[in-house]
Amino acid sequence: MTPLEILGAAISGAPAPRIPVFCNLFEHGARELGMPQKTYYASGEHVAAGQLRMRARYGYDNVWSLFYVGREAELLGCQEILYSEDGPPNVADFVIKDYDDIAKLEVPDDLTAHPAWKETATCLRILREEVGATHPICAYLTASTTLPALLMGMDKWMELLLTGPADLRDELLRKCSLFYQREVAAYRAAGANVLLYSTPFGSTSFVGMKRFNAFSLPWMKRDLEPGGSANLVYYCGMAPFNNVIAQVREELGIGAHYISPMADLAEAKSIIGSEGLTCGVIDDIRLIQWTPQETRAEVRRLCEIGMVGGHFLFGTGVMPLGVPEANLRAMLAAAFEFGRYP
Amino acid sequence: MLDRIVKAYNEAVFETDKEAAFDVVYAALADGMRAEDIVFKVVIPAIEEMMSNITKDPDANLAQHFMTAQIAAAVTEKMLEKFEHPPEIIGRVVIGTAQGDLHSLGKRIVMGCLKALMVEVTDLGVNVAAEKFVEEALACDAQIIAVSAMMVHTASGEMGARKVRQILHERGLEQRIKLVVGGAPYRFDNELYKTVGADGWAADGINAGRVIVNLIKEVKAT
Repeated sequence: MTPLEILGAAISGAPAPRIPVFCNLFEHGARELGMPQKTYYASGEHVAAGQLRMRARYGYDNVWSLFYVGREAELLGCQEILYSEDGPPNVADFVIKDYDDIAKLEVPDDLTAHPAWKETATCLRILREEVGATHPICAYLTASTTLPALLMGMDKWMELLLTGPADLRDELLRKCSLFYQREVAAYRAAGANVLLYSTPFGSTSFVGMKRFNAFSLPWMKRDLEPGGSANLVYYCGMAPFNNVIAQVREELGIGAHYISPMADLAEAKSIIGSEGLTCGVIDDIRLIQWTPQETRAEVRRLCEIGMVGGHFLFGTGVMPLGVPEANLRAMLAAAFEFGRYP
Repeated sequence: MLDRIVKAYNEAVFETDKEAAFDVVYAALADGMRAEDIVFKVVIPAIEEMMSNITKDPDANLAQHFMTAQIAAAVTEKMLEKFEHPPEIIGRVVIGTAQGDLHSLGKRIVMGCLKALMVEVTDLGVNVAAEKFVEEALACDAQIIAVSAMMVHTASGEMGARKVRQILHERGLEQRIKLVVGGAPYRFDNELYKTVGADGWAADGINAGRVIVNLIKEVKAT
């Protein structure tokens, strides 16, 4: 079976030889191609080459069309990205510097005509041509309730959300939701088939249950309304969300859940069961310090919990550049070994 | 009367309702309560209650932390104008995000909390060089350098807290200035703070207040 078929089997519950093994190596691609990140990320050809080389070297199942998270802010007017050779790029220029900028924020009618999309489209085209028939192609999309953090900074967004004028907050959210709707349509049309819906405000670690129901859920429904929830994976930026999985499934129709390493995987699995896909995620920050033996033991633990009854995927979180090569290899070897079905 | 005020104020904070919190405070003032008592018997105990609730309450969340700190700082600032005598500052902190890190939310929560706890805070902003942390700490006569980092490479890399530690060590300042770190990577790896040479860390911005106050006392005791 191809990795794409293995993923399909994990979702449907059909027999498969093993679980899907997903990994995200982003800045590693620049290092592999021997170029500064700024040069690497300037070209969709570079990013596609980096993704293909990383996948070929380590043998995991997926590739990513994501450059860096701030890319979405660039599509909305961000002019400056802070690059680092040690970690992911950051938004250095907030599009919304004061509340007056909310009215000026424009969501492009056709995202695919935007210069910042051009390189993403090139990357997706190459990935689709090279591995699209056999391997999942992932995209990263930020929910309307979280996108403002990329546009104005998290503390300013929290301030607007919790104490600011409701009309301005809602105007910003409407624009962010419209952006999401257009972005997800563009990614689907370009061939991305695993869509990570990044929604930290969809976790009660960010807002309490009352605000989750009154604020997060309605805006997430609005995000998903036109395009639907097909191929979406619910992800809260590594924050736990076991207590809302049932609601997310019932009210948003999202069946795949990227479980926080800080959450109880067994509990998540028992909630999701065979109704969806449980993604068991390793704490890859600790992966920096672990030994290969400790890494192997942790992967085994996750597989033993998650594989019962099928419908399980092994995945990674932020995959820092500081993870030693030996641990990266130990993690993937263990995922393929313990991820085999009898 | 105090119990009723504390209960009403805590409920407002729990609901992240700044306006309601101020309503409680102004009603208490109108009833004759002293501004000093509002800070020391209402606001600071509310922070302490939030510190203890964070570990027990499954619904404790970032929005609550943010608003607890912002409400506490805002109420304290207003009440300080009404104090009969300026309050005693228990210590000084310089705070900023690590070099290469532009995430300021955690820093802002800590700052709000510290202001209410009568700690003088100097905000160095974001993307702060290690040398600047130390220079400013000396200039302010601060007992604490607080480094916030939300990304793995800024939390664990050579240019952040590790370099602050190195400079403190090289200049013989380790007894005089303590180093505190915070941010998401430290929550995922609870031993990471030791790896980077910090004297303390906290899992959230509210409890960072307690860690910092304890370390200030430690420095002052030596």
